[in-house]
Amino acid sequence: MSWVTSQFDTRTIVLIPIAIAINIILGQTVASVLKVPIYLDSIGTVLVAVLAGPIPGLLTGLLANLIWTYVLPPPLNSPYAAPFAIVAAEIGLVAGLFAMGGFFRSRPLTPWPQLIMGGAIVGAIILVIGIWGFLPFYTDGTFTFFSDNPDASPFFTALGWLIGIGLVAAIVALFVLLFVRRDLGVAYVFVAGLITGIISAIISAPISAVVFGGVTGSGTDLLVAAFQQGGSDLQTAVLQQGLISDPIDKTITFFVVFVLLQTLSRRFVARFPQGERAIGLEDA
Amino acid sequence: MPPTPTAYHRLNPLTKATIATLGSLAAFVAGGYIGPLLILAAMIAAAALGRVATQLVRLSLILTLPLAVSVVLVSALTRPGETVLFVIGPFDVTAEGVDFAAQTVVRLLAISTSLGLFTLTTDPRAFVLDLERRGVPPRLAFVAVATVEAVPIMAERATTIAESQRARGLDTEGGVRGRLRGLLPIVGPMILSSLTDVEERSLALETRAFTRPGRRHLLWAMPDSSIQRVVRWLLLAGFVALVAGRLAGWI
Repeated sequence: MSWVTSQFDTRTIVLIPIAIAINIILGQTVASVLKVPIYLDSIGTVLVAVLAGPIPGLLTGLLANLIWTYVLPPPLNSPYAAPFAIVAAEIGLVAGLFAMGGFFRSRPLTPWPQLIMGGAIVGAIILVIGIWGFLPFYTDGTFTFFSDNPDASPFFTALGWLIGIGLVAAIVALFVLLFVRRDLGVAYVFVAGLITGIISAIISAPISAVVFGGVTGSGTDLLVAAFQQGGSDLQTAVLQQGLISDPIDKTITFFVVFVLLQTLSRRFVARFPQGERAIGLEDA
Repeated sequence: MPPTPTAYHRLNPLTKATIATLGSLAAFVAGGYIGPLLILAAMIAAAALGRVATQLVRLSLILTLPLAVSVVLVSALTRPGETVLFVIGPFDVTAEGVDFAAQTVVRLLAISTSLGLFTLTTDPRAFVLDLERRGVPPRLAFVAVATVEAVPIMAERATTIAESQRARGLDTEGGVRGRLRGLLPIVGPMILSSLTDVEERSLALETRAFTRPGRRHLLWAMPDSSIQRVVRWLLLAGFVALVAGRLAGWI
């Protein structure tokens, strides 16, 4: 029991409302203004999870969505956040566990052999996820982004290829980052973000399909329409959209937090229950 | 506490929260058209009691319209179906798709009016304090109230930062790439500046016995009545009956 309560010191309790406010402000800005197919509404949750641990992370995610629906006054309030509270809670929990395992530590000036090995492992993971996780959903054995549906309009096929190119560019950028900064931590953060995103996609897809008819009112809906036009039923189309959007979204979120951790003073980070462990001060 | 103009406003927050939650869940469980439309009508009638009907309709439409556009795109245009009504460019508009889209929009309207009515007629602080009086840990209550206060402050801070970065030549308009690149110089300072408050606030709370164990005694209590308690239980029972009816296939 003390393991749980020790994670809720005053500092953590004060951080949680600020983290929730960050979630809400960013989530709303990104979803409604940018209209890009990502959400970025969990930076605060991940920040709490990393600094204070998995349980505070879980609680922050859960509370964030409930408060968003029930407590915030009208202009900022959203009735559509509460159904996804369980997804937000999962993100906080998983991010906290990864931080506990040291996935958010910066590993500057990693020797080249290790760096190359890390790069190879990340490459292998991407390949495995790509071959076993992504391609079966998007192709029928042949390498077309959408199944050979004669009804599929060229616009959506083009959109599909555009996303494909975007994904490849993101992966290339990751490797550039890895080798230019020579920070193996980048690889860890990437893997953690990817896994968190895949879990979130699997949990949120049924909620989105059943409650909202597969829409969220943001740029992601275009993807759902594209997959449905490509011949998937609604459930599958939403899952396909989630499996593209969520891993990208969570990886970006994790990178933002990773960069923030290095910007924040060590004194500040170390005062949180899991701070020292998250950035690896306790070994030093 | 702000003045509470009507009898609906004066209901206990938990009663209003029960109506909102069960209303939106029931709209989802009932499905089809009749259930959600009945809930929609009931919520607007209740809003008329609280003299917020026009506000509620406007709020609900603002929240639902962006989703409705997507619903049309996802459901009416691209959902596969047998009966093709007409064709727009590459899209076959099917009867099944239109039906599904209409059901989704009706459901979303019922959900947003249920929860919108609650937020329009309830003071967030009153709701949280009432929950605390009923046994929710004070720390959770603090988190909820502090969030209500933090969000507008942070929104203001984001605007200030965006304006100062634009004054330094940051481009926040233009294509997706430009907008994405414009995001980081705003997000970074916003998060960092709000985190610097954490230290001060936690020291302030520590000096005011925030970590003291045990319950707080609230001098103020939100009025509640036994009739409302009965109504809440009846609503819950009705909802359970609806779920059971749906599962058994009677409704």
